[in-house]
Amino acid sequence: MAGGDGTEVFSEEELKLPPCKYEYLDHTADVQLHAWGDSLKEAFEQCGIAMYGYMTELETVEIKQSAIIEAEGHDLESLLYKFLDELLFLFSCEPYLICSKVTITEFKTDGEELRIKCKCYGEEFTLGKHPQGTEVKAITYSAMQIINEPEKGKCEVFVIIDI
Amino acid sequence: MVVRKFEEELKYMEKLNPYCWKIKKGFQPNMNVEGVFYVNSTLEKLMLDELKNACRPGMTGGFLPGVKQIANVAALPGIVGKSIGLPDVHSGYGFAIGNMAAFDMNDPNSVVSPGGVGFDINCGVRLLRTNLFENDVAPVKEQLAQSLFDHIPVGVGSKGIIPMNARDLEEALEMGMDWSLREGYVWAEDKEHCEEYGRMLNADPNKVSFRAKKRGLPQLGTLGAGNHYAEIQVVDEIYDKWAACKMGIEEKGQVCVMIHSGSRGFGHQVATDALVQMEKAMSRDKIETNDRQLACARINSQEGQDYLKSMAAAANFAWVNRSSMTFLTRQAFAKQFQTTPDDLDMHVIYDVSHNIAKVEEHVVDGKLKTLLVHRKGSTRAFPPNHPLIPVDYQLTGQPVLIGGTMGTCSYVLTGTEQGMIETYGSTCHGAGRALSRAKSRRNLDYTDVLAKLEEMGISIRVASPKLVMEEAPESYKNVTDVVNTCHSAGISKKCIKLRPIAVIKG
Repeated sequence: MAGGDGTEVFSEEELKLPPCKYEYLDHTADVQLHAWGDSLKEAFEQCGIAMYGYMTELETVEIKQSAIIEAEGHDLESLLYKFLDELLFLFSCEPYLICSKVTITEFKTDGEELRIKCKCYGEEFTLGKHPQGTEVKAITYSAMQIINEPEKGKCEVFVIIDI
Repeated sequence: MVVRKFEEELKYMEKLNPYCWKIKKGFQPNMNVEGVFYVNSTLEKLMLDELKNACRPGMTGGFLPGVKQIANVAALPGIVGKSIGLPDVHSGYGFAIGNMAAFDMNDPNSVVSPGGVGFDINCGVRLLRTNLFENDVAPVKEQLAQSLFDHIPVGVGSKGIIPMNARDLEEALEMGMDWSLREGYVWAEDKEHCEEYGRMLNADPNKVSFRAKKRGLPQLGTLGAGNHYAEIQVVDEIYDKWAACKMGIEEKGQVCVMIHSGSRGFGHQVATDALVQMEKAMSRDKIETNDRQLACARINSQEGQDYLKSMAAAANFAWVNRSSMTFLTRQAFAKQFQTTPDDLDMHVIYDVSHNIAKVEEHVVDGKLKTLLVHRKGSTRAFPPNHPLIPVDYQLTGQPVLIGGTMGTCSYVLTGTEQGMIETYGSTCHGAGRALSRAKSRRNLDYTDVLAKLEEMGISIRVASPKLVMEEAPESYKNVTDVVNTCHSAGISKKCIKLRPIAVIKG
């Protein structure tokens, strides 16, 4: 929704940041993201935030604009890979968006074509305002693990990102 | 991955000599050839520790150790000779970092793998010389470091300052350093001292996705972050006076500038796109690999050819990128010393590519073969008299530039005949990480790291304080160990040692 001065207006619900359910694990050359949640959808969202968290200090990011991304895959791994690649792409060129919150609005994980639609909240990365963290070059399939056992309360993902 | 007890795993390895270990078939499934890696006793420990840490059956998370990755590469279709780990080898993704492998171009099953090149296509090192000496630079060192930092955009989210539109980008992708030359950013003789003369002729911008171009455009002429840097260095030691002389290095104390960077977001996206394409080709052609990140396609398939053409475009991007920063460096020096880059004799000594795949001729089992050589974190090191190295270095062998880590030292080596035979003319590329980034962040304090650098007389300008910890010398293997192993094993020869006096980093 656009406000009177052209900036986006967000509801209170949209501005609320999720709790932190991710960590950075040891890897010799790169960084392994470990994210979890009550559902696989939440684990995916957390993994996205974890990646943004490596690029800057997320506390400095205000929610001022949003973007919608879509990702498709033929299995869970390729879906996660494409999802993170889309998030990285949002940051890497126009609109240079750094996000402190991502909300998956469509999460289709059955059938031939798996699909994610996601709304990403943040603002344009600005030198001086946002401390420069480390650049993420790409997402990798290396040692990627997706644990999807919601009945046991175990939804986790492990992704190595190339630094 | 096959998980056995550490003692069991060791049975698949054999120490051939003090600098070389063999990995036998069976260590990983479907190995077509054996693996080999070069280490001295210090590096050997790091390598085996990495393996030991991974030997915990049933755990979640975790990652593949370098030795397992070397063995997975040995299982790729069409590989010839051996899958080779150079002394700086450590765990990466797909291929290990510091891993080279060659595939027979005449075998229809042979593959090309983007994982064997890496995401940062044509990441490499360029060395510029000057006719200045340490005492010329010492009084203005801080100003010079600041000036370089102001000239070269560094770190996450920085944008290039070389004017560039979409059409320029297309031309640059096709022409590589010829574009930089036409636009006046480099000197004609710079090209001579680059691998491939700074231009891969098979580059085809039409094979590159819109995404990659969009990501690449704002980043041309930027250094990047991570382990990339620009350093002002001084010659600390000359091991081979004659070869150094050919490179324009006369004596100790001479000032050089080293630039370590790659193809930025452009190359990262080209590799990402290729990986997705190749997954499809693999299921169609029924190619199986031990690791999903080792996605590959037959060299002669559409996907394989498309990748090689877009990879070449990314390689050209990287040369234009390093050339743009060469221009900015020359400007910064010229302004500081109120003279011209020409009068400062700021020539390119050499420019190496350490993430690339190239078609080369090599002798395998006594027969001349055309191979697709993948070098990931490995540098080409051709011997004297090789037709593909510039006339200035015909007698010395190709200069090999080994970038050290922030605050340690860097080396210039030369290629050897033995390296040509044993490692397909390949050697190490840098120090190679020892500590994980997360561990470095936990265990090191950035003010300590900075204080230590200051103590050593090194000026530093860095965009991200966290990076200072991740990139601290303690996080890396000792580059001197790495280089000495290459020298002792005979796969390349020490020529010059350089010591940093100022570091610019993301």
